[in-house]
Parts: sequence; C-alpha cells; structure tokens
Amino acid sequence: MDPITIAMVSDFFPPDVGGVENHIYMLSANLIRRGHNVIVITHSHPPDRVGIRWLLPSLKVYHIPFPTIASSATLPNFFTFLPYLRNIVLREGVQLIHAHASLSSLAHEGILHAHLMGVRTVFTDHSLFGFDDAASILTNKLLEGALRNVDAVTCVSHTGRENTVLRARLPPQSVYVIPNALVADQFKPAEVQPSLDELTIVVVSRFAYRKGIDLLVATAPRICQKFPNVRFVIGGAGPKMIDLLQMREKHQLQDRIELLGPVKHSDVRNVLTRGSIFMNTSLTESFGIALVEAACTGLYIVSTRVGGVPEVLPSDMISFANPDEDDVVRAVSEAIELVRAGKHDPKAAHERVRGFYDWKDVGERVERVYESVMKSEPLDFWTRLQRTLDLGRFAGPIFAIILIVDCLFFMFLEWLSPACDIDKVEMHWKHERFVELVEQYENKMAATSSPEPNLDNAEE
Amino acid sequence: MTKPSGEWDHEWERVLWKQKTYADNYVPTSFLATLSKNANFRPYTYGYLVSASCAITQHIAVIFIFLATFVRLKERMLDPRLLVWVSILSFVAGYSLWELLHWHRDKASRLTDCAKAAKSSVLVFLALLALSPILRTLTAATSSDSIWALSASLFILNVLLADYTSLSVNSYNHERLSSVLSMNGAISASVVLASRLIDDISVFALMLFSIQSFALFPMLRRRFQTLPTPLQLVLTALLLGLSIYFTLPLSSTIASLYATVFAFITFIAPAALVWAQRFKNEIRGRWDPAVPRVRVIEGHGKRTRRSDHTLRR
Repeated sequence: MDPITIAMVSDFFPPDVGGVENHIYMLSANLIRRGHNVIVITHSHPPDRVGIRWLLPSLKVYHIPFPTIASSATLPNFFTFLPYLRNIVLREGVQLIHAHASLSSLAHEGILHAHLMGVRTVFTDHSLFGFDDAASILTNKLLEGALRNVDAVTCVSHTGRENTVLRARLPPQSVYVIPNALVADQFKPAEVQPSLDELTIVVVSRFAYRKGIDLLVATAPRICQKFPNVRFVIGGAGPKMIDLLQMREKHQLQDRIELLGPVKHSDVRNVLTRGSIFMNTSLTESFGIALVEAACTGLYIVSTRVGGVPEVLPSDMISFANPDEDDVVRAVSEAIELVRAGKHDPKAAHERVRGFYDWKDVGERVERVYESVMKSEPLDFWTRLQRTLDLGRFAGPIFAIILIVDCLFFMFLEWLSPACDIDKVEMHWKHERFVELVEQYENKMAATSSPEPNLDNAEE
Repeated sequence: MTKPSGEWDHEWERVLWKQKTYADNYVPTSFLATLSKNANFRPYTYGYLVSASCAITQHIAVIFIFLATFVRLKERMLDPRLLVWVSILSFVAGYSLWELLHWHRDKASRLTDCAKAAKSSVLVFLALLALSPILRTLTAATSSDSIWALSASLFILNVLLADYTSLSVNSYNHERLSSVLSMNGAISASVVLASRLIDDISVFALMLFSIQSFALFPMLRRRFQTLPTPLQLVLTALLLGLSIYFTLPLSSTIASLYATVFAFITFIAPAALVWAQRFKNEIRGRWDPAVPRVRVIEGHGKRTRRSDHTLRR
C-alpha cells in the first residue's frame, strides 16, 4: 500500500509501563519500517516528557498538556482535545487516526473528532470488560458512542473480539483479530539451563486483584510444602504486595520465595531465565503477552483458563487450571513432574514461539486493515448524525449534541486560525538520508584528517 | 448483520498462534457460541416483594406516627407527660420483646447486657432532660418555613438511607454508614421540630419519643423481619392503622395521602418491579473475570470463600 501518515492516539504510552504502551510503540516502529509516517499523540508526563519528543526509530511523539486523573488516563470531556488534534493533523497531514485502549479518553476523542478533518479511524481494544456493574455499563456506553462511526476495530484475541462486538454493538465483520507480538530476540532462553533439582517457578505480574494474586497467595505455601526443592521468584509491584509479604512471613518461606519488587520490561528476560516454570493466576486476560514472553524464554507455562489465554499457545506448551486453589496446585504439580521428567525442551519452545508471533506479520496485517479503511467510502455527516441518534433513547441525543457542538467548535477554530495559516511539516525524518549524511560526514572527516602528518605512522 | 458464510469454517480454529489463510475479520459460525443470557437469573415473585415491602411500610408508618404526635404536642392536644409515659412503657415493652428474641443466649451474658442497657437508658433519659431547654431554643431563631423544609428533607434522607435488610437474631454486625446517617437525619429532624414547641417538658417528651422511634425501633424492626410472614403482616397493619388513626382527626386530606403512599409502596411498586424484570438481560461469556476460589483456614473448620467482588478493581 502507498505510504500514509498515521497518528497513534492513546493515553497509554511509554514512559508508562505495560502491554498497551509497548504494543503502540512496537507497532509504530514496524509501520515506520514499512515506509509510513507515524506520529504518536499522548498526554504529557511533567516535568520532562512535554512538548514534542523523538523516539527511536524516528517516531515523533506529541505530548498534550492534560493532567491525568487515575492510572494514567485523562479526564473525558469530549472537546478540549480538538484544538490540539486539529493543529497536529493539519501540520502533519495525518490521513488516519489509530486510537488504542477503551479506557483512554484521548483515544475516544480522537475518533470523535477525526471526521471533521476528513481523517479515517481505526480503534484497537486491548482489554476485556464485564457487563454487570455500574462502571462497566457506563464505560461500555461511552465506548459504543465513540465507536459508532469508526471505520474499523482490531482486537488482540478472538475472546476480545466477541467482548468488543457485544460491548460496542459493532457488526462483527468490521472487527479484525490481530494478535499482539513480541521480539523473540529479546527473549532467548538461558545459555545454561537452571537446575531441575532446585526447580524455580517464576511469577511476573502486577499485584492486583484482577491478576489473581489471592490464588498465588493461597497456592504458593502449599506448593512449597509439597515439593521441598521448589523455589519461587516473584517480580512485580502493586496493592496486593502486602498479602504476599504476609504469606511469606506466616509460613516462614523467606528463603524459598524471593520477592524482587518492580521489574523493568528490559529486565524481564533476566528474571524469566532464572526459572523453569512460569505461573500465571490472572482472573481476566485479553491476550497475556507475559505468557508468550515466558514461553519464548523457554519456560513451561501454568495458567488459569481465563479470557484469551487458551488461544495464545499450543496445548503442549501450557497447563491450564480452573481459578480454584486446589486445581492450581494440581496443575503446578503436574507441570513440575513434567519438567523434571525432561519432557519440555526450552530451546525447541523458543524456536516454536519465534514462528508464532512476529511484529513484521502484525505490521502487515494492520496495514491490510488500513488499506481497506482507506479504500472504503467515508460516512457523510447526515449518516453519522442518524447513526448517532440510533444509539439509544438517552445516549443518542446526548452524543448527537456532542457531535453538533463539536462541529460548531471546529468551525470556530477554522475561523480563529484558518488552516492556511498553520505551518505544515515539510521535512520528514528519512532514514536513508540520515545514513547518507553520516557517510558524507565520515568521509569528510577522513578527508580532512588524512593530509595531516601522522607522527606515529611517520616513525614507522 | 449478514450471516457468516462458513466457507473457512473447517479451517478456522480459536487459536492465535497458527498461520492462517482466512481474513482477520472472518466471522466463524461459532462466533459468540458461548454467550449465555440470564444464566443465574431467578425472577422475584409478586408475593415475595409485597412481604418484603413491609419493612419500608413500617419505617414510613413510624415517621407518620411521629409527625402526628408532634402536631398534637404543638397544638397542645396531647399532654407531654402522657407521651413520656408512653415512651417509657414502649421502651420496656420493646426491650422485653428484644430479650424474648434473644432468650436462647446464656444467662450471664443476658444479665450483663441487661445491666448495660438499663445504665445507658437512664443516662440518655437524664441527658435529654438536661438538654431539653437548650434543644428548645437551639433553632428558635430560624423561621418556621425553613424548619418545615429542613425537617422534610431530613426525613426523606432518613427514608432513603435506612437499612431495610433483615438481621438474624444471632448476628452482631456493625451498622453501615448509611444507616447511621439515616438515624442522624431523623434525630436532627426531631431537634429542629422541637424548637417549635412551647415548653421544655414537650421538647423532652418529643426527643424521647424520637429516640424510641428512630434509634431503637429500627434495630428491633430488622430482627422482626426474620419472623414468620403473618406476624410481620400483623405488625405492619398495626403500625399502618395507628398512623392513619392518629392523622385522620388532624387532616383527612393528609390521611388519604398517607393511604395512597402505603398502597403505592405495598402493591404498585412491587408490580412495577415484577413487570420490569422482563427487560432483564444479563450476559455471560468466557471474557468474564473469573472468581477465585480460595480455602480459608479459620480455627478448626475450613470453609470456602468467594473473594470480595468490590475489591476487584
């Protein structure tokens, strides 16, 4: 497909740590490699991540000065993002907005404003939500309103797709399943495999209720009691840290359960290579990139059977347990026997995972989505308004008013600072040009330094 | 929504790791196959809701009785000394009922509880007696219009926040914040109303009656809710009848309004809820967060606990 300019819009972007953040960065890097111009629009992280910043490889990041309310999400207000977005879109000549994460209000706003500038939209949902509590009902309605006129949606697993189709009431054909991926070279198995007599179980997780830390707290002492030669290495941080510390204290397991504290993504491999089994007790998981990273590092996986987890790995690389204390102990025990019997080959597992997930493949698949979106006919304003009114008896008029006020606000902005007055970005970062310039510079340096008499050489 | 064509269905698998030939937006025939609707849904029956509404009726009837008593005191139609005696007698009667419900406890703890109750009731009695001149003049400077509006909103707060759940005789759970707020709302309403009375003894009688009605009666009411339904119906009818009987001589309009309110709460509101259940649409599928089952060892026995739902975010 012809190169286009894409804006990734999300509240979640590095320096925050997490699966979504990493996904956006890696996807952008791969789309740049495929010849597209990619920029990222996110909120600022005072004091140092403000304004415009370049990341390797030539990824331009716009930081919008919005304060965050909770877990790095900005306040949803539907309008204040428009002046910034309009300016950036016009300056950069953005043709497609790719918004990420259903709890990011910047992403929602990006989709709502895009049509004003004739920009096409793609949305990626990264997580699963229920339907039965007040918070879910509210966020699902907001998502439905935001995705009413979106051009395409991608999800990271089949379960995630079913969930998103129900939550946002989308036609299933407009939702694509494109998995997450990993850089297999960053997750090579250890050169020297850890000993199987002193077997180590690794857990790397955020210590939150949703990650099933209650199950970990309940099962770790039982596993330690059952297998005297098994150790735990647990990395992460979060509100449930205190439960883990209490469990370790109560059962006198300080020498067998090691708590590492927060682990940086670049250090995850070094933690994983210390063990032979990776244990995941999540209660909900859309994709479970941590499992794939661990499998790639050559660990055998034990996980609860939740969400999209059963889809990510073949059944001979992973053991499943129900979210029940006894069943987790059973699954871990079987996994320990299996690994001790030498039935799991870490090197072979690494090679297999390398063939499963690849960013290059993901980049191509996302590009195909972009291509079909760019080819399709955009909805006109009246269709948009009609579709918005069909949202529901209460939500419909509210979102229709938002749509109309948004248009008026846009017209006001057009009057205040006409598009022709906005400076366009004319020079883009070109990697080839950079290499060329470096070579030229090096040649020049070599040329200027060679005529000088080199004393060392002269003596010879 | 078009029907899935099914052309790739023999090839489609619910896995992400395999190389595949079908498009990323291919909709398999098994799409949403695990979706279940209203799986654990038990509809309410009309009879159950009517009997459950008794608690609300009782609570509101007590407020109406209190208001009728206040009007009588204010209009000097009721001797405050009589009201003090009625309060004392109803306290004794209520406490005996309470003891009757708790008769199966051992004797020693009953005796200490009884001594404690006697001590605190005497203390409250004396404190109210001492405070009644202050309570009478506390909001005396405020105009009557404001007092009516304020007490009305405080009583509405009391009705909205009151705890209508039943409490078994053996459990000793702490009161929730909302029910404490509810009690405070009603007592504050009584305090502001007391400033419209003329003498200290009336204020004292009204405050004593308000403590009986809004602090002690709800505790007893929640225990009554575990009793068999006929007994509850009798109690409800008694309170309802008393509230109408006391109000009718004051104003027949207000009394008929009360009757309408009771009819709405007991018959129409449950019918509306039963009707609304047809719109119940609870969907479950494999994306739902799992509920961890963890065994908790407590003392001798083991029991299975379902972790607290509210903590999950």
